[in-house]
Amino acid sequence: MDLEKMMELPGALAAFTYSDKGDLQSHVLREGTELTPLVLDLLARSCVANLAIASMEGHGWEALTGQSGFQPLKGFSVVGLEWSVVVNGNCGVVVKNRDADYEATFNAVQAT
Amino acid sequence: MHIVKQLMAIPGVIAAGEYAYRGDRFSYEGALTEEFARMASIVCRANTLSVNMQAEIFDSFAENCGYRPIQGWIARGSQITVCAVGNYFSFIENRDELLNDVMTIMRAKVGDVQDDLLVNLYARLGGDTKEALY
Repeated sequence: MDLEKMMELPGALAAFTYSDKGDLQSHVLREGTELTPLVLDLLARSCVANLAIASMEGHGWEALTGQSGFQPLKGFSVVGLEWSVVVNGNCGVVVKNRDADYEATFNAVQAT
Repeated sequence: MHIVKQLMAIPGVIAAGEYAYRGDRFSYEGALTEEFARMASIVCRANTLSVNMQAEIFDSFAENCGYRPIQGWIARGSQITVCAVGNYFSFIENRDELLNDVMTIMRAKVGDVQDDLLVNLYARLGGDTKEALY
């Protein structure tokens, strides 16, 4: 997984990988960002939980409504005040909201 | 133009709506039944509160790190994406550039979600926010 390449995404502040349980495994931080490895570690854990919840909701929605197109889940993003985190699988990217290209970022985390 | 109408004017937007904090009062347009729109409102409300809880935990470790208050979330499915900003939601097709357009409009039209999510969501209903909350 090429985190340096992830850092080339528009507005990227950090890129990271994590285990299935959410343990931070590797990360790259943009110089000058206020993000820390501790924040990324917490972020990774919450992202694992959010992906699991969204996957469950997608399954439930498809079963209840008969509407398809939610499964398999291709990623989840939380939009904060200044930055967003976009995750899929075991990889995540933090992007500045004002520069974010969500489409490209989701595509990048799907490709990993 | 109202946010929901503006979103529905974009090709590829399947449905869009607005919900109250509890998720039991909602309005919507698009290809959802009344019952599915109610379910969507409840799901969006639950996820919004969940990510806000997470952000509060982060805040205790890294105050003012730029995460809180949470503005919304995106769930990317294989063909459909669900976007939630404040108390608005939209179901959109996975088409090139549609997600960026929808997020730009939702962020611009809803505006920055304020620090107290509950007050903010209730305030959009009108009436006495404090009485409704406390």
